[in-house]
Amino acid sequence: MAGNQEFDADRAQDFRVVGTRPARPDGMDKVTGKARFGADMNMPGQLIGKILRSPHPHARIKSIDASEALAMPGVKAVVTAEDFNADAKDRDVLTNIMARDKALYEGHAVAAVAATSRIKAQQALKRIKVNYEILPHVTDVDAAMQPDAPILHDDMFTQGLDEKPAKPSNINARHEFGHGDVEKGFAQADIVIERDFKTAATHQGYIEPHACVANVGADGMSELWVCTQGHFHVRSQCASLLGMDVSRLRVTASEIGGGFGGKTTVFIEPVALALSRKAGRPVKLVMTREEVFKASGPTASSSMRVKIGVKKDGTITAGEASLNYQGGAFPGAPADFGAMSAFACYDLENVKAVAFDVVTNRPKGAAYRAPGAPMSVFAVESVVDELAKEIGMDPFDLRLKNAARDGSKSSYGPKFGKIGLVACLEAAKAHPHYAAPLGPNQGRGVASGFWFNFGGETCSNLNVNEDGTITLAVGTPDIGGSRASMCIMVAEELEVPYERVRAIVADTSALGFNDTTEGSRVTFSSGMALIKAARKAKEEMCKRAAMMWDIPAEAVYWAEGAAHPSGPNAGDFEPMTIEEIAGSAAKTGGPIAGHHEYNADGAGVSFGTHIVDTEVDPETGYVKILRYTVVQDAGKAIHPDYVEGQFQGGAVQGIGWALNEEYIYGEDGRLQNATFLDYRLPVASDLPMIDTVIVEVPNPGHPYGVRGVGETGIVPPLAALANSVSAAAGVRLTDLPMSPPKVLKAIGATKLAAE
Amino acid sequence: MYEFNYHKASSVSDAEQALRNASDGKIVAGGQTLLPTLKQRLASPSDLIDLGGCSELCGISVDGDTVTIGAMTTHAMVANSAEVQSAIPALAGLASNIGDAQVRNLGTIGGSIANNDPAADYPAACLGLGAVIVTDKREIVADDFFTGLFETALDEHEIITAIRFPKPEKACYQKFPNPASRYALVGVMVAKMSSGVRVAVTGAGADGVFRVDAFESALDGSFSASSLDIEMVHLPDLLEDIHGSPGYRENLIRVMGKRAVEACG
Ligand SMILES: Cc1cc2nc3c(=O)[nH]c(=O)nc-3n(C[C@H](O)[C@H](O)[C@H](O)COP(=O)(O)OP(=O)(O)OC[C@H]3O[C@@H](n4cnc5c(N)ncnc54)[C@H](O)[C@@H]3O)c2cc1C
Repeated sequence: MAGNQEFDADRAQDFRVVGTRPARPDGMDKVTGKARFGADMNMPGQLIGKILRSPHPHARIKSIDASEALAMPGVKAVVTAEDFNADAKDRDVLTNIMARDKALYEGHAVAAVAATSRIKAQQALKRIKVNYEILPHVTDVDAAMQPDAPILHDDMFTQGLDEKPAKPSNINARHEFGHGDVEKGFAQADIVIERDFKTAATHQGYIEPHACVANVGADGMSELWVCTQGHFHVRSQCASLLGMDVSRLRVTASEIGGGFGGKTTVFIEPVALALSRKAGRPVKLVMTREEVFKASGPTASSSMRVKIGVKKDGTITAGEASLNYQGGAFPGAPADFGAMSAFACYDLENVKAVAFDVVTNRPKGAAYRAPGAPMSVFAVESVVDELAKEIGMDPFDLRLKNAARDGSKSSYGPKFGKIGLVACLEAAKAHPHYAAPLGPNQGRGVASGFWFNFGGETCSNLNVNEDGTITLAVGTPDIGGSRASMCIMVAEELEVPYERVRAIVADTSALGFNDTTEGSRVTFSSGMALIKAARKAKEEMCKRAAMMWDIPAEAVYWAEGAAHPSGPNAGDFEPMTIEEIAGSAAKTGGPIAGHHEYNADGAGVSFGTHIVDTEVDPETGYVKILRYTVVQDAGKAIHPDYVEGQFQGGAVQGIGWALNEEYIYGEDGRLQNATFLDYRLPVASDLPMIDTVIVEVPNPGHPYGVRGVGETGIVPPLAALANSVSAAAGVRLTDLPMSPPKVLKAIGATKLAAE
Repeated sequence: MYEFNYHKASSVSDAEQALRNASDGKIVAGGQTLLPTLKQRLASPSDLIDLGGCSELCGISVDGDTVTIGAMTTHAMVANSAEVQSAIPALAGLASNIGDAQVRNLGTIGGSIANNDPAADYPAACLGLGAVIVTDKREIVADDFFTGLFETALDEHEIITAIRFPKPEKACYQKFPNPASRYALVGVMVAKMSSGVRVAVTGAGADGVFRVDAFESALDGSFSASSLDIEMVHLPDLLEDIHGSPGYRENLIRVMGKRAVEACG
């Protein structure tokens, strides 16, 4: 993960724009309702698409008869699995967007209709006859691993074992990470604690449901308007699923009402394209909230065992984790990431994490903010908390004693570069929150967390307009205020006012491939690309000034938004401003632009530490959050408001995961709470103000020191809350969510509730 | 939504007439329950008769020991009414905790009671305070009004016009909100009336709101929280759902009951 040495410490001494908090460019449109989200687009002659979904968690599709539906007035097309490219690259996605032989979960798409109105499309769905052979199902991760469990895929033989197993199972893969000898380590420990933990599947809970409008022309030239985190990825997936050339499909990303990882893949987009291709008209498809719950990509549920040994002086001698994650009906539960992150906060001699990626009859999981890490870190940080109590050591001191530092060998292999964990732990320990008094039934919990962060393929353009203003074309949808950060970085580099720079998210025809907005990568990678593009533009502008002054280009430097002669020897010229240079560009060689395309390396890992106080009602089990503080390393906060917003948002989603949110399946394998009336996201009235502390340990891999900040914030809260509630309730809670009945049962306050 | 005919009634008799003329008419008050049902196509009335224009149904009056609230009075109006706040603060408090601001500004007391959702708050107030439900045809005491899940004693074309609450000596409503919907997982109204103590519970009953006889007689004996440390004999069947077991709800009835008594002072 070591990237180039990009960070310029001298430059960072006198930032003028970086670190300020200007208004975000998309703010006005969003508060006035002008912003166009996925469902705000309509095309002339458009049809409405609707998807028929399996009511069964597991069933063989024996036949589909759509003739009656097709005969209805207003119905223009029906598609099924046959309408997609059977040789598509990603077979799992192919089978997920439209069931082929089997429906693998309740809500799995089996057919789709396009009609002249929503009502007609809905009525047509009822006339499609699907003949199902119902099969036994399994939705629980531990049950799915049993030898007698119903098998989802006959061709699934566990990968990662020494020998290929003789029989298929629901375990797609085994992963193992670590080093040293954990048995030896446990033998050296004075105290060893081993516990089991469970977490429920949760949904990203973005407020905007998936929505798109597809238009396939008679000549095959196609457009797709879609709410997504990655329109380039949507383009490659859809082109492959429909068997078309990438160049024929132009994808435009709408404004986006939340994604959190859930909009990094395709669900309805290829279906809308297939319907449009068949009907010869544009097709709009919008998910209902129930569809979002049942048929988009929630995160994994988990069942875990963690064992950690410690000496009385606080030295952790060994850590071991066994993690079972189910990620729905297809491979890809983020068990590997869970295993890699579990002990990442510790510098351990002996560490081992084993993870199993398991399939069940649930919707295919998608990424959710730091996928896989919150669960395993919940388990590890809970045990660390218990060990601290057991040996009578302050939980921060125990963490500091064993903390991963610059150069530590990480629990997942590589050596860490420059990292900010110790800085976070020290800042949290010194925070007034940690010293504040607590009342009866109140408890304080702390926990740390980690995320890798990602760089990836990036291509950005910068154009100096004829009046000296700047337009940026970025290929990464803005889900966290990144347009503002892009403008700040370019304004910093060119030394022009922030207001002179505008960033837009360009469509797929305007730029080369860009990886999705995921892995907390955008401010890091698109940002670095634009800094480099700005440097090229600067060089070019110096050249143009030199040309007009008729002096060598090397004798010109850039400062204060203008070209300057480097000294009296170079010539006695007034500085030439960007406006002047841009205004005369036609005479000096034409438009001035900068661009940069690369595969970004060196995204610095990020650590964070959270402190939370809760009060537990011992008679009802209700948990109230009293105070919450997030401390996290941002490398460099380009726009501190958005960094704080990311910290707070991560904490809030973690709070929901810890206390309320849960996919609840019935015996019948059907989701029981596919509405916000039954699935509780935390809202403002559930929460105190979340305090934030931005720690800045610059990332050597970015010119300004940026690290990704979007994901780490969701990693510590599950454990921090569990530690806090356990302290308040006087009993260790190991099963999330910590809903009131569960907490009360743990307290054992009433014999009635204990039934 | 399916198609329907819309009538804006100008008076109760006008509304009654329209109901009678319709093949399958339905009253709409605040629409907070009815409209979502229609949007999901779970109901298909031929006609919707809107009571929004019947000014006679809206308002609050206090006469001696009786507070009368018109059927179309919104939750927000009850919550913010100085008269209700001084005569029956428990009732104003209950209204202020229904749903969210949008729901409180549109939802009505008449609609809530006619709907009789097993987790709604007002039924506990009516039963706990011994209210009288006034319709265009008769007066029905709360004990006879709530007959089961979403079921009431209302006849097909009967319209609630007002609810009359007797002023209690003291009363308190304690609600444990469902963490997801904010409806009552359990809500307990304890009221000390001149005729004796009444305790009504919403959210917990498999057949809707009910009174807890054991609590009432215990509190008649001694109005203190510790009086409720007794067995709750003759409890009806309690609800079992994803949010709580019958056992959890039974515990909440006692805890919320005791807190209500304590808060009564
Ligand atoms: C998000 C949300 C949260 C909520 N939370 C709560 C909560 O915490 N606690 C709670 O108690 N409630 C809650 N509610 C329900 C709310 O209180 C509703 O307002 C109430 O249930 C219905 O009142 P309405 O005026 O909207 O009636 P409508 O929806 O208009 O009508 C409901 C029913 O009553 C009938 N009706 C209406 N008025 C009369 C009348 N005068 N005579 C005869 N029949 C009539 C209608 O025909 C219909 O069948 C919530 C609702 C929502 C949408």
